[in-house]
Amino acid sequence: MRRHSSLPVTFLVPTLAILLVLSMVPTLYAIVIALQNRELSAQGYSWVWFSNFADLFSDRRFLNAVWVSVKWEIVTVVATMVVAIGLGVLMFEVAGPRLRNFYCLLFIIPVLLPRVSAAFVWKFAYHPLYGIATYPYRLITGGLIFDPLSKPGTALFAVASVDVWQWGLFFAVIVLKLLETLPPQPIEAARLDHARRWQIHAYVTLPMLKAPLISLMFVKMIESLRSFDLIYVMTRGGPGVATETLDMYAFSQGFIESGKVSYASAMAVLMMIATVITFTMLWKRVQA
Amino acid sequence: MKSYRLAASLGAAFVLTASVSTAALAQAPVCSAPVKVLAQPRDGLTLLEDSKDEFKKLSGASFQIDYLNENDRRAKSRADASTVGNYNVYYVDEANVALFASSGWIVPLTDYYPADYDYADFDPGRQKVATYDGKVWFAPLTGGGDLMVYRKDVLEAAGIQPPKTLDELIADVPKLTNADKGMYGIALRGARGSGANVWRWMPFFKAYGGKWFDGDKPAFNSEAAVKATETYLKLFKDSAPGTQTGSWDESTGAFLSGQVAILVESTPLSGMAVDPKTSQVVGKVGFLPPPSPLPGGGYGHGLAIGTKANADDAAKKCAGLFIAWATSKENEKRRLDAHQFGELNRTSVLSSKEFADIYGADLGQALAETGKVTAVNFWQDPRWPDLGDRWGIILEELVTGTRTDIKGGLNELEAYANDLVKKK
Amino acid sequence: MKQYRMRPGRLIAKAILALAGFLAVFPLVWTALNALKNNVDIITRVPKVIFTPTLANISYILGRDSVLTGLYNSAVTCGAAVLIGIVLGLPAAYAVARYPNRFAGDIQFFVLSLRFLPPVAVAIPLMVIWLQVGLYDTLPALIVTYSLLTISVIMWLAIPAFQGVPKEIEEAAFVDGYGAYSVFWRIALPVAARSLIGAIAFSFVLVWNEFLIALMLSSSNAKTLPIVASELSQQGMNVPWGILNASVVLLSLPPLLFLGVLSGFLNSVFRQKKS
Repeated sequence: MRRHSSLPVTFLVPTLAILLVLSMVPTLYAIVIALQNRELSAQGYSWVWFSNFADLFSDRRFLNAVWVSVKWEIVTVVATMVVAIGLGVLMFEVAGPRLRNFYCLLFIIPVLLPRVSAAFVWKFAYHPLYGIATYPYRLITGGLIFDPLSKPGTALFAVASVDVWQWGLFFAVIVLKLLETLPPQPIEAARLDHARRWQIHAYVTLPMLKAPLISLMFVKMIESLRSFDLIYVMTRGGPGVATETLDMYAFSQGFIESGKVSYASAMAVLMMIATVITFTMLWKRVQA
Repeated sequence: MKSYRLAASLGAAFVLTASVSTAALAQAPVCSAPVKVLAQPRDGLTLLEDSKDEFKKLSGASFQIDYLNENDRRAKSRADASTVGNYNVYYVDEANVALFASSGWIVPLTDYYPADYDYADFDPGRQKVATYDGKVWFAPLTGGGDLMVYRKDVLEAAGIQPPKTLDELIADVPKLTNADKGMYGIALRGARGSGANVWRWMPFFKAYGGKWFDGDKPAFNSEAAVKATETYLKLFKDSAPGTQTGSWDESTGAFLSGQVAILVESTPLSGMAVDPKTSQVVGKVGFLPPPSPLPGGGYGHGLAIGTKANADDAAKKCAGLFIAWATSKENEKRRLDAHQFGELNRTSVLSSKEFADIYGADLGQALAETGKVTAVNFWQDPRWPDLGDRWGIILEELVTGTRTDIKGGLNELEAYANDLVKKK
Repeated sequence: MKQYRMRPGRLIAKAILALAGFLAVFPLVWTALNALKNNVDIITRVPKVIFTPTLANISYILGRDSVLTGLYNSAVTCGAAVLIGIVLGLPAAYAVARYPNRFAGDIQFFVLSLRFLPPVAVAIPLMVIWLQVGLYDTLPALIVTYSLLTISVIMWLAIPAFQGVPKEIEEAAFVDGYGAYSVFWRIALPVAARSLIGAIAFSFVLVWNEFLIALMLSSSNAKTLPIVASELSQQGMNVPWGILNASVVLLSLPPLLFLGVLSGFLNSVFRQKKS
């Protein structure tokens, strides 16, 4: 009966068609725009083919943005996974069922917040004079000023900490749930061998969870691409260009500074190509 | 006796409201839809929102003001005006009026500014800033030049006379810094933007003889710019915390909360400094013109009529009426009553007795003095925001130390300027 | 199993957990407190815990036309986009889950890969397109754009939800003479409802929180709440900290309402895995 139904066609085709249109039209158009020299404030435009791309590679800020984006990706993904696994294991080890539920609820809260809200919350917290997060430093040093968001060396980490606050805590919950799905026998066996607690996790449980943890990391890598909200609110890419990621720079070029839509689009196209290729390859490996 | 007076004032009030309402009834309402305004936060505009009903009575519609900080307001109004143009009224300033006017994003104001609101009453300096290409484009909300504002008590304690020259200022500032006690010699602007860090930097550039363009050729890549930048960076070593990535708000905020000894800032600061509502240093403040040869940065902000959102003449009239009402004598009087020094623009108000009573003769004299050294420091061209913002980013990098090569930054800016010129 | 003694290691572990729990919520609680403070109580070098609360900030926020418009715009765009996501995403997910074909893997990957697209790469061309067709800065443009997000997310999350419905129930319904469509309507949907609601809530939170696309596709008329909130906080001029905090609180409340639903969703996902 299932075989001969028209259901798969009626259910799938319209949806897929709409998804295709909604995704392909902008992506193809992004490429078209990138080959022109459109500007927001000018009516006319002409085809300049690859000159936007050529300009990009001699643009100091673009190269800087590539580097900042790579740094951002590495810092946030690694820190998120470390926090998630650390807290997940701790909850698994020392918290009873009720306490676990309580922590899980708490740890989900930050990720639910709009990124904009999270960014504001921490921007206030990092305020050098009135911030709650910089208060301990003022207290200990007797009123010295610590301004993490305006120091080139610390700004990126200060913004990344917000990302980790949102995702690391959330992933800790998932790591805990993953640990809970494991069969108890191997853990018991290791315990009988007098293995230490951390050894059990390092050599038994976490290797058993390798596949889901890698998937988790994959998800985080994708989500880390969305750094814009945090950076836009907290630093605007500053100080200087110390936190200017690719999407921030593309936005600045397209809107804030000069309205060079085509130039911004060329950047977006390069980003798109890079991410689609990287993630497709990663995905195939994760699946394999 | 008492009751008679009450009755009389009631009667007067009645006559007044009656005349207002008959005037409103006499003609069809000027506005058919709420006026949408894109502005930057001003105490004067916030105050205006308390009188929404008055405008409704006058025009038949309400108004809505969206606020963005200065840099964002510039970026957003430009993006909006160049695309959909959904705002009826734009907040424009000395730096972008040329761009807005020459791009046709705003229309000349005079045709839609009702005569009885008396445009000629505005301070002549501000009228000049609002004029581009021989036409008047906006009605001023604020404006002025620069003043050196300093802490009498701090300078006295250090045995330092208020600096009269730039060299004295450079020598005095480090001596006044006492970071342990939370006192800093100066406050500058570090945040990017043609109206932010570049704005504070330009007087130094001009003081050292700098020049933006020679005809179509960029001329700013010069000894003057290098020297100005070096001086700026040197002074920044003693600038209050938070100003490295801050602008007007941060540096004036630091001064008003008592952490800064001297700063040269736009004139509204002087009014804020003597007002107990905004200042913790009332009574300890002195004013002088900027140390010579620093010129003051002449500026003016105001409201202009958008082109696209006001498709027909009626809509433009409505926007014009809003602007006229918002900058009217009555509303300016309200701002004076609320001690909003920076929001006053009309000669009739600035020369009134109430003004002198509130702000004293000292300030009046300093303002008159500084008027003489107020100058236009930026490149008067539609492309100025582009160029200025570009330099703002490089300057911010220099200030925060992510970049140290001044000459390299100027070379980069010159290449950018050449591109700008070529495109036109 | 023997009882573990309280070793210092365990104590430290508990302390770290407690600290993490504290860090998770305290910044928010602090923001909420600041929303109730007068400016003088916020700009203090030593944070103030005891203060005279004021509702002025909150009433200012709720009294602004722009906030109400933003709230309305957010509600309409999110509501409509999620509705479209449900109508188009759920049936498609069901088809993929229950009628395996040789493209099923590719379809799943295609849906996931939509998430790889950098938002700027979508927003810039769409901005130009909407400008050309005269829909820039309107709600329909935002709704259509967000539908891409909601359809793909709902579909992605609903596939495993439908797969989790025991096959036997559906087979039994077929035997009882139900057609393919009524099995979907009457069996699969109700049985999977709990997980599906989680997926829908997730997509709602995602679009409610969306910022970059809304920022690029709206100018004045279609501004959503995140944009309005960010504008309120970017005022600069004598920063009205209390008002900023109040706007953050307002913006954050709707997603937090889904806290229960989403944590239930997580639990059900992992319970499935276990079984």
